[in-house]
Amino acid sequence: MPDLPPPISEAKLAAPRVRANAVPPPRILDALEGVHEAAVALVAAPPGYGKTTVVRTWCAQRDAALAWVTLDAGDNDPTRLWSYVATAADRVRNGLGRRALQRLMVPGASIDFAVDELMNALATFDQELVVVLDDLHEVTDSECLSSIDYALTRLPPSVHVVLITRTDPALELAALRAGGSLVELRTDSLAFTTEDASALLVERGKIDLGADDIETLCRRTDGWPAALVLAAVWLDRVDDPQRAVAEFGGEHRFVAEYLSEVVLGGLDDDTRGFVLRASVLGRFTAELCDDVLERSDSASMLKQLERSNLLVTRLERGGWYRIHPLFAEFALFRLASEAPGSEAEINRSAAQWFLDRGLLIEGIEHAFAATEYGTVAKVLVEQHNPMIRSGRSRTLLRYIRALPGTLIFEHLELAIAGAVATTAVGHGALERRRFLQLVRHAQESEPARVSRYVEASAAAARAMAIEPDIAEAVREGRHAVSLALAGEDDSVVFSLSACAAALYFAEELDEAWAMAMQAVERPDIGVRPAGHAMARVALALVALDRGQLDTARIHAETAKSLLGDIGSSRSWLGAEAAAALGSVNAAEGNLVQAEHELAHAERLFRDEVATVQHTWLLLLLARVRCRRGRLDVAEAGLASASTAIRELGEAGRLQTLANEVEAEIIETSTRAGSGEVTTPPSAAELKVLGLLATDLSVREIADQLFISANTARSHTRALYRKLGVRTRADAVARAAKLGLLEQTESRM
Amino acid sequence: MPVCDYQLVVDGELGDDVGRAFAGMSLNRENGRTVLVGTMRDQAQLQGVLQRISDLGLTLLKVSALDDEPPF
Repeated sequence: MPDLPPPISEAKLAAPRVRANAVPPPRILDALEGVHEAAVALVAAPPGYGKTTVVRTWCAQRDAALAWVTLDAGDNDPTRLWSYVATAADRVRNGLGRRALQRLMVPGASIDFAVDELMNALATFDQELVVVLDDLHEVTDSECLSSIDYALTRLPPSVHVVLITRTDPALELAALRAGGSLVELRTDSLAFTTEDASALLVERGKIDLGADDIETLCRRTDGWPAALVLAAVWLDRVDDPQRAVAEFGGEHRFVAEYLSEVVLGGLDDDTRGFVLRASVLGRFTAELCDDVLERSDSASMLKQLERSNLLVTRLERGGWYRIHPLFAEFALFRLASEAPGSEAEINRSAAQWFLDRGLLIEGIEHAFAATEYGTVAKVLVEQHNPMIRSGRSRTLLRYIRALPGTLIFEHLELAIAGAVATTAVGHGALERRRFLQLVRHAQESEPARVSRYVEASAAAARAMAIEPDIAEAVREGRHAVSLALAGEDDSVVFSLSACAAALYFAEELDEAWAMAMQAVERPDIGVRPAGHAMARVALALVALDRGQLDTARIHAETAKSLLGDIGSSRSWLGAEAAAALGSVNAAEGNLVQAEHELAHAERLFRDEVATVQHTWLLLLLARVRCRRGRLDVAEAGLASASTAIRELGEAGRLQTLANEVEAEIIETSTRAGSGEVTTPPSAAELKVLGLLATDLSVREIADQLFISANTARSHTRALYRKLGVRTRADAVARAAKLGLLEQTESRM
Repeated sequence: MPVCDYQLVVDGELGDDVGRAFAGMSLNRENGRTVLVGTMRDQAQLQGVLQRISDLGLTLLKVSALDDEPPF
C-alpha cells in the first residue's frame, strides 16, 4: 500500500500579506520589473533589507499568479524541496503539480524527472506565473542546488522565478547573467534613501521629524530598512521624537540591538513577554501560541500586535503569522537573559505540538533546538520506514547524523535506517559500513538487546551491500533468509533477493538462481517492485554466466522496467539493473549500448571507498572498452579495479574477471601493435577513421561527412587493409597506437 | 588548518546580550566598533561565527588570523 504524502506545513506556502503601511519605495519595485523579460530575479541582501516585502508587493502589483515557498533547513532534501514547490504550483491551479508530486512519492526517484514533469505542467498554464523561493540561503545541499539549476534552464516563457536570499547561492547564475536572463536586486538598491525614510516615518508614520533628523537616522542606520522600521515603531511611542533621534545619533551601539531594545522596552509587560516567547517559534498561529505559551488570548494579542506595529506580519493562509526574523534574533537574546531556560521549554512543547499534528520535520527541528535527542530518536524509530518509502532518505540521514552516537547505539533501528538510507541516497559506503559495524558491535556485546527485526535487517543490508566481504555477505544473506522465512514477515522478498545477489558474487550460481526464483514466486512480489527488481537482476546475471542470453535479457529488461515504473533508475538498484542489462548487451555484441549502460552504472556505484559492485563495474566497462578498441581507457579502468581489489582484499570472482580483462587487453594491444603500415591512409580515409572511434554507424558517418554510405564503406575497407586489421575495434585500437587518431582530431 | 586565533571587527558596539552569541570570544568595544578575538579549532567553527554575524545583520569590517604573522 502506498504511503500517504507527508502533511504540508501551510506556513511554508503562505506569502506574507501586503500591507498598505509597509509599501516599499516605488524605485525599488521598478528595479524588479526587468524580470518580465529576464525570467529569473535574484534578490540578495543581509537580513532586514525588506527583501520579502519588496517581492511580495511587486507580485501583488503585477497581478500575476503566485507560487510562494519559504525554504528552511529541512529543504536540504530535494524531495521535500520540490514537494513544496510542486504543491505551491498545485495551489495556483489544481492539478499543476500533481504529476511532479506523484514522481516525488517514489523512493529513489530521479529529481530531474519530477522537475521535468513540473515544467511541462507549468508550460500549459496560460497566464504569467511567478515562483518565489524565499530564504534560499537555507538550502546548501549540492543536489538541491543542482536541481534548481536544472529547473532554471527549463523554465517555460510565462514563468518567472524570484530567488530571495541572504547570501549569493551556489547556483550557475553566470550563464543567465551573461545571457541577460537575470535581474539582480542587491543591498545598494534595497537600502533606503533619505526620501524613502522620510516617506516611511514622516508621511506615513506621521512622526514629527525634520530633514536633519531623517539625515541622522539614515546615517546611523546606513539606510538599513529593518532599523528604520524599528525606529518608526519606537519613535511613534516617545514624547519627543526629535530629542530621541538626537540621542540615537550620538549612540555607538549596534543599531539593530539598540532599536530592538528600545522597542521592547516600550511594550507593556504582558505584550513584551508574548513577543519574546513567540520569537522562539518564528512562525505561529494563535492556536500554537495558546497551546505552547499556555495562554488563551493569543488571537487578540496577535491582532493587536499586527495592527499597532510592524513587528508581526500575518501570512495569507491558515492564520499563520511571522515575526520579523531579525527582530526575533534580538528578542531571543533578551529572553535568554530574562528567563533562562524558557527557550528550550518552548521548543520542547512546540516539538510536541507539531508532532501531534503529523508535521514531522517541524517537530523534529524544534526537538533538536531543545536538544531533546530522545524525542527525535523515538520519532525516527517509528517513522523511518515511511520516510524511506516516501523518498525522504536524505532528511532521515541528516537527522540520524545529528544524533549523539550513544543514542543510535541505544536504538539500533536507527543504525539500520541509516544503513538503508545510505543505499537509497547513494555514494555512502563508508557511512553504511559504520552503521552496520555499530549493529555488529551490539550483536557481540549485548546480543539480548538486538531484536529479530534488527538482526534480520542488518543481515539483509550486509548481503545487499556485499559488506564486509563476499563470503561474509553470503553467510549474512542466508541468515537473513532463514530469519525472514521463520518470521514470515515483510522482509522475505528483500532477504531472498539480497542473498541471491551475494551468492552470484560467490559463484554459487545454482543457489543464487533458486533463491531469486523463490523470491519471484512469493505471493507479495507484486507490491514489492524494488525487491522484485533485485531478484530479476540476480536471475539475469546467473543466466548470463550460463550462456542463456535470451533468458538473461528478459530478466534484465524486467528489472529495468520495474525500476523505471517506480522512477528508481538512479538508485543503487537502478545501477544493478543497468549493470545486468549492459552485461547482456556486451555478451550479444551490442558494444555501444553496453558501454552506455555500464558507464551509467559505474557512475552510480562510485564511492569514497572501494566496493565490490563498483570494482565489478570498472572491470565490465574495461572489457567493453577494450572490445571497442579503446585500449587507453580500458587499461586505466583495469588499473583502478586492480587497486580496488587489493583494497578490498577480495580474490575470487573479481580477480578472475580482472585476469580475463587483462588478457583481453594484452591480446588486442598485441594485434594492434603488429606489422608495418606501408601505405598511409588518405585525408578522406583519416576523416572516416576519426568517426570510427565514435558510436556512429557507417551510415551516420557517411551523413556526417556528406558522402554516400558506399563511399564510407570503401574508405573503411581501405583503412582495414592499410592497417592490417579485420574489425572496427581493432582499427580504432591500431590507429590509437599509431597516433593516427590525434591527427584526425587536430583536423576536426 | 591548525588551531588559530582570529580577530574579527564588526560595525557597532555590541551589548552584552548579543555578545553571548559569540561565547568564548573576547569582546572589545571602541569608537562604534566591536573587536572579537577568539581561538578557532577549525574552519568550520570560524564559518559558524561568520554565519552568526550574517544572521544578526552585522557588518563585518575585518577578519584576520592573529598568529600567522612573521615574528619580526
